[in-house]
Amino acid sequence: MTDWILFIPELYTLAAGGVFFFFCLGRGRPGRDYAAAMMLSAAGLVLTVCTAGFEGLVFEGVYQVDLYSQVFKALIYSGFFLTVCLCADLSGVDKARHSEFYLLLCLSTLAMMLLASSVHLLTIYISLEISSYSLYVLVYFRRGYPKGAAPAFQYFVFGAASSAVMLFGFALVYGAFGTAHMAELMGQVPARINEPVVFTGFVLSLSGFFFKLAVFPFHLWAPDAYEAAPHQVSAYIATASKVAAIAILVRMIALTGGQSDRVAWVLIFVSVASMTAGNLAAMAQKDIKRLLAFSSVAHAGYVMIGILSANAMGYTGAIFYGLSLMVMKFTCFMVVVKAADGGRNIKTDALAGLHQRAPVLALALLLALFGLAGIPPTIGFTAKLLVFKAAMEQGLLWLVIIAMLNVVISLYYYLGVLKAAYFTAPASQPRAIAVSLPFRLLALAMIVFMVAGGLYPRYMTALAGAMTAGLLP
Amino acid sequence: MIVPYTHVMLLGAIVFLMGMICTLTRRNLIMIIVGLEIMLNAAAIVFVGAGLQFQQIEGQVMALFIVAVAAAEVSVGLAMVVCIYRQRHSIDPQCIENSPRVPDPKAASEPLTLNP
Repeated sequence: MTDWILFIPELYTLAAGGVFFFFCLGRGRPGRDYAAAMMLSAAGLVLTVCTAGFEGLVFEGVYQVDLYSQVFKALIYSGFFLTVCLCADLSGVDKARHSEFYLLLCLSTLAMMLLASSVHLLTIYISLEISSYSLYVLVYFRRGYPKGAAPAFQYFVFGAASSAVMLFGFALVYGAFGTAHMAELMGQVPARINEPVVFTGFVLSLSGFFFKLAVFPFHLWAPDAYEAAPHQVSAYIATASKVAAIAILVRMIALTGGQSDRVAWVLIFVSVASMTAGNLAAMAQKDIKRLLAFSSVAHAGYVMIGILSANAMGYTGAIFYGLSLMVMKFTCFMVVVKAADGGRNIKTDALAGLHQRAPVLALALLLALFGLAGIPPTIGFTAKLLVFKAAMEQGLLWLVIIAMLNVVISLYYYLGVLKAAYFTAPASQPRAIAVSLPFRLLALAMIVFMVAGGLYPRYMTALAGAMTAGLLP
Repeated sequence: MIVPYTHVMLLGAIVFLMGMICTLTRRNLIMIIVGLEIMLNAAAIVFVGAGLQFQQIEGQVMALFIVAVAAAEVSVGLAMVVCIYRQRHSIDPQCIENSPRVPDPKAASEPLTLNP
């Protein structure tokens, strides 16, 4: 008998999706859709936070509800809620399609929540696919984009190909062990990870998660998809989707018990490659969303440092990094949504004079970019410190040095954006950006969170540490 | 089991590589989707073979789920191909980049530009 109480946040999200499904059937009313989305997502966030203490197994043990999954669900839901907060001006999407837009966001959130709890290869595969399909369609929702459906199709082909590779890896792992359940695999994988079939299967099965996180060989979709998607969808991909990818990747790497040097070398390679490729490519970008996409690729590399360290500190660091990345990337996209009128794409120099046009947004952007570059006392600095410390514990000093060099490279383009926002004089008389009171409060909350996370990370790191307790042998 | 698992795995690997080559080399969006399907089916073959090796029903259940997911994937992919064909009158990946966009008669508002 299944304990349905444990499954309540997911059922709630499904019901919320059902509400939008019924809205789709009627005539599109953007105001009503937005209000409903705000209320439903806020209530869902409260619900996921309230259920954070739940523990147990659902559906014959293939669905594990524990502190790890529940905190990740709350994080994913906050990504969803914050994205909906940006939807007041949803001019990048056709008016008749707003309810479909929220429906797909809901479904994607639901699938990511399932992903955070999945402990069976089949549930992992299915929830990963559901979350991706919604995103493929959402990327295509951009109204009147000159390149049309091509970037969305590219995203689809990359995603489907990497998930097919992942599925083949799962098949090899299942064929080697005769079980697809993570709890049973966890006891058997570390001893046999160096067998060719197991190693190949395991590395192939990581590819689907690498795609989600936009790690080096699977990152090529990111700039085009970010650029082509409506700003809100880009924000969602950069926040909630990345957090879910970190959740499942940490679980998968924890399977090996950190015993295998070969797997560690593969992860070190993808980490260094994605840091370097992301940072070097970001330097050349003019479009601010492409720049943020390549910076996501670089940050995926830093997250991988924490994950490949495979110790308590490393997992804690990776989880904390996911949280900080969510806050910082969201703040950047908040500024993009506000600075780009009519849902257009903007270049970096379009931010000129932002400190006069909207001081609070300029300050939020300043802190977010400092955080992304890893300058204290922001939350991004603490996150980098944690993952680098974890790598030092494993004796990977040279990896930390490479990462530090990358941080220096990344300063160049982050400061370039800041220079545009603070020091470049706008070509014409600057038009003030109207920032409503709730939006101002949201920006202030982000500012406070970024500084508080940098100065007092103790509670958050303690929580992240408690989450990882079940992952270590 | 008459056929050893190694042979099934080998067959799966060959089919998988064929699917991957199809995805990477064909210059037709529909054939790209067919390649993706072949890759998924290769994984299903290995799952069924592995399930048979261990005398478990799990492998076949996986294969059933893979068929369902593949159907969903094709529906998303083909919907996009239809959209692309309406916009460009072509489903050649290289033509899509270069050919001009066919204006949508139903679009009321003027299209957004990349560089305002």
